[in-house]
Amino acid sequence: MADGSGDFRQCSPFETDFPTNERSQSAYTPLHTFDLPRGADKHYQQQYADMYFLRLAQLKPAVEEQAEEAWGNMKIGTDTPQHVDRVLDVRQGIPSWVVGTVFVDMPLKPNVLDDISKDHWISAPPTRERYTTDGKLDMMIEDESGRLQISGDSLDTLGLVTGCVIAILGHENIDGVFNVIDTKYADLPRQPERWEKDDANLALSGGKIKQRRARADRIAIISGLEIAGDSGNDLALDMLTEYLIGESSDPSRPEGSKKISRLILAGGSLAHSSPIPSREEVSAKKGHKKYGYDSAAYDASPTARLDTFLSDILPTLPVTLLPGVTDPASVAIPQQPLHAALFPQSRALANSPAFKNDPHLGFDSVSNPWEGDIDGWRFLGTGGQTVTDVQKYLDVDSTLDIMDAMLRWRCIAPTAPDTLWCYPFQDDDPLIVKECPHVYFAGNMPKFEVRTESGPFQQTVTLISVPKYSETGIIVLLDMETLEVTHIDLRVGESKP
Amino acid sequence: MPPKRSTGPKASAAQSTLAFHGTTNRVTKPTTFPRSAKSHDKIDDILHASKPDPATTDIAPAEEEAAIIPPPALAEPTAPVKPAKQLDAEAAARKVSEARIKKYWAAKEKARLAPRAHQEELGLHEKVLREWDMCGVYGPAIGNSRLKRWNRANRLNLHPPIEVLAVLLMEQDEGNAGAQRAHVDELMTSRFVVEA
Repeated sequence: MADGSGDFRQCSPFETDFPTNERSQSAYTPLHTFDLPRGADKHYQQQYADMYFLRLAQLKPAVEEQAEEAWGNMKIGTDTPQHVDRVLDVRQGIPSWVVGTVFVDMPLKPNVLDDISKDHWISAPPTRERYTTDGKLDMMIEDESGRLQISGDSLDTLGLVTGCVIAILGHENIDGVFNVIDTKYADLPRQPERWEKDDANLALSGGKIKQRRARADRIAIISGLEIAGDSGNDLALDMLTEYLIGESSDPSRPEGSKKISRLILAGGSLAHSSPIPSREEVSAKKGHKKYGYDSAAYDASPTARLDTFLSDILPTLPVTLLPGVTDPASVAIPQQPLHAALFPQSRALANSPAFKNDPHLGFDSVSNPWEGDIDGWRFLGTGGQTVTDVQKYLDVDSTLDIMDAMLRWRCIAPTAPDTLWCYPFQDDDPLIVKECPHVYFAGNMPKFEVRTESGPFQQTVTLISVPKYSETGIIVLLDMETLEVTHIDLRVGESKP
Repeated sequence: MPPKRSTGPKASAAQSTLAFHGTTNRVTKPTTFPRSAKSHDKIDDILHASKPDPATTDIAPAEEEAAIIPPPALAEPTAPVKPAKQLDAEAAARKVSEARIKKYWAAKEKARLAPRAHQEELGLHEKVLREWDMCGVYGPAIGNSRLKRWNRANRLNLHPPIEVLAVLLMEQDEGNAGAQRAHVDELMTSRFVVEA
């Protein structure tokens, strides 16, 4: 050694003190609202009518309250509109209001008859991007007693999709069609205070409620990594890894001190994990029968690449992974968490299933949609399928308008059993927003947008639509003290003049 | 003349007949039979012998045990805990008498203009339960058991009639499992095809 004492710590290479970066811990409580029961408890023998019944029964009191407040004292001509309990009990000519579920008859919706037409014609009609046509749409209001056709000028300007629960005011005309003057929806539910759930848990367990909590840092939300296993976006992924670890930011700059304390991957982490072969492909591939998986078709490199990416950042940065449309999770929502078997390296830093509710080590594979508490704020997130499905019904460009409408209707997936595949809930529908979140984000959206909405009881929600990282290179950063949203753009191969 | 039949030794003596009965051919599933009193002692001895002696094995594996995280105590599979609302409803339903159910049914019959047709062979309980199935306010009756449907309606504050729960609990106590499934459910899932 240099000074001959034999003490390693006194040598010159160890005299310089390298600055260490530290991350603050993010308080994290996932709520397992969308986890389905396993094994024999998950049945499919019930029908979807149960889901519509549950949605109507749970939202009817809230909608009735809003409608009563708005129309209880108004006068149309000389009469006050009366509240009718069942949809079929409206009488002709008498102004009344009723609550029910909307059904929009869209002829371009995917139809099971298309599948049958494949047998008789050469090919099926192509799948459509939007189900809207140019003509007027047939809208109906239904509940357990029956259906009532509705029409009105106000309906054309409002966006309504199949499955939202509203109250309509008007009267039935001579054709039996209900002429709508005004509509009301349930609006935003009660919003919990920051740290409410953590304080409640502490109170239950007998601990002292902490008044002072550490200052929270930022969290990063990314979606649409679209890892395909080939070397296509290796550079983009490496840049992302360096940014998240902190290698590319300078700690001396003031911005570098605001660290990221958690990463949320909002769906689309894998690109086309295992496409289901269509009927033509299966019949064309008349090879020998193979039992077990067909090694020619299965390729483990995308998941291996994602696993390597996660294990690079996991030791210092906790990750919450939501599945998306292209990920190997179930097709029907709520998509269950990606299985730990896919991540042999990363699962060492995950909690075992027995300790699901303990503070998390690092890697948390969660359901889609997902609800949880991060640093006290209530988060609600989806991988994007719920929003893109509603977009097919409406001619709306801004996905934030759709997300706002979904929160105000209190339905996370209003089109769920109709055009979006869903598990047939029978006892309790978790796809209803019971408590207003502070932040609502959706991944795999066409572009990055942020907006703050407020509700009738001083609720404030930050709506974030997160674009795909593979297309735009945008990382969304959310400051956890102020709920302010900024973004970072990481692009490869663009030279600025 | 017809061919002569030989009456010698049987030509088919080589093949034996198959027996589908009898003690030699019995095929029984392995089931656990209740242990007889005799075998108790031997098995208990073996079980007690396999328990490690705590005195000698105290020191050595102490360090190993400290490093091993104890496995989480698996909850024994007990019956799921029922929520308080359901327990209250069941307690109230058990107090409902047969006379009250008759009064409830009489009130329902009076509300109609004409008597019900095709229900002469059914007992009072079955009539009450079929009426329960047909009320759409409480949700679809197909794919769900009547009791679960009642509990769900109660949880959603739809005020289902307590007399129906009383009838369901009475049927359950009698061991009548057929009363748990809605009659329409059986009709809708039947597999008989009617030839037109």
